[in-house]
Amino acid sequence: MSFDIDLIIDSIPKMLMGIGLTFQLLFLSLLLGTALAIILLIMRISGRWYLSWPTMAFIYIFRGTPILVQIFIIYYGFPQLEIIRESIFWPILKEPFGCAIVALTLNTGAYVSEIFRGGVLGVDRGLKEAGAALGLSVTQRFIYITSPIALRLCLPAYSNDVISLMKSTALASTITLLDMMGIARTIVAETYAPYEIFTSVMVIYLIITWIIQRTFGWIEKRMSRHIRKEA
Amino acid sequence: MDAITGWWDDFFWGSLVVVELFFVALIMTVLFGLIGAGAKLSNSRIAQNIAAGYTIVFRGTPEILVLLLFYFGSAIALTSIAQIFDPEVKFVDFPPFWAGSFAIALIIGSYATETFRGAFLGVDPGQIEAARALGLSNLQTFIYVRIPAMWRLALPPFGNHMLSLIKDTALVAIIGLEETLFVAEQAIATTAKPFTMYILVGLIYLGFSTVITLTVMVLEKYANRHLEVAR
Repeated sequence: MSFDIDLIIDSIPKMLMGIGLTFQLLFLSLLLGTALAIILLIMRISGRWYLSWPTMAFIYIFRGTPILVQIFIIYYGFPQLEIIRESIFWPILKEPFGCAIVALTLNTGAYVSEIFRGGVLGVDRGLKEAGAALGLSVTQRFIYITSPIALRLCLPAYSNDVISLMKSTALASTITLLDMMGIARTIVAETYAPYEIFTSVMVIYLIITWIIQRTFGWIEKRMSRHIRKEA
Repeated sequence: MDAITGWWDDFFWGSLVVVELFFVALIMTVLFGLIGAGAKLSNSRIAQNIAAGYTIVFRGTPEILVLLLFYFGSAIALTSIAQIFDPEVKFVDFPPFWAGSFAIALIIGSYATETFRGAFLGVDPGQIEAARALGLSNLQTFIYVRIPAMWRLALPPFGNHMLSLIKDTALVAIIGLEETLFVAEQAIATTAKPFTMYILVGLIYLGFSTVITLTVMVLEKYANRHLEVAR
């Protein structure tokens, strides 16, 4: 048992070939997931039971089951059903990439909508009442008063969720996708050098996490610049 | 539905493995969390840095990566040790159950470290000073004052950690532990009904998450029983 430096130097470029796929999975499902979360949030706080109950059920199911099982149901499970195979979604669900995007989007959508809800509930009632007193409609109050404040409140939790989403993209390697993790696993299967390969891919993931944290830290600072006290 | 008929007992034993894995990993998680929080709050620079490194690494890398690194890494180490005594040995591995529970506990333990640290800091210093004034020793203060006051604060986030823990147990199927997801894969190999089997796994996990959520609710009520306002 020895630590093979040459192997690391050889395989890092190979693993970085998968970083594109990792980023595609991350950004696409983050974008779609956030959009889904906003729809779910509006349904959830609409105050109409026929909109909020399905949303609660959706969130409960997707937060209560492992993402790995969700990926397997979508990738391996759906082809069993005739309805899915004949539906318009089949071209997407046929490909492992489409399945991974769908699974990650639904999963992150459920989590992020709860984060957004926490932000919306954290907005001071008095501000909304002031908006109402000024004659703003419900929609105007939501857009101009609730949303900006709620966004600032939920940003730290949201950045944590982006990091978990980034970590979840590694699970795409279980459905044959060759993202960074997938490539690392293939190299390990060929060379049988788990220490070298897995620790170097670990470092790459850590750098991505660090960049995400830094970016959100900067956004947070910018968004609260009018609250910060001058030193 | 007929496809499941012959598989009930296998799924039952699989679920039992999940439960065992959960409890073993939970105990280790609390242990790692307390050690980590202790190190972060200690005066020793070295301990602080080690704990900081621990939380950064395990919160920033994908769970599946940690798991595979532990399982294959320990297998290589064990094999090379075994070959010293018997050159005929080809492959010795750490039992997946222990490699899995250890890896999961390290990951969730890194989150628990932050939770416990925050909760210990949240304990009113006046209570600790009062305990000193009453002549309690450091250990007594820790057991009778700090722990009861901090677990009330730590319980809500720790409930979320337990949910992540139960969901992460699904990953251990990847290294070949016979838990529910693994049973489902075997069942699919003979029945060719992936959707049915994976949905069943999802339902089992949903059941576990529900039980944990309810337990945490009861515990929170119990922890805060003296703080309830009379109605």
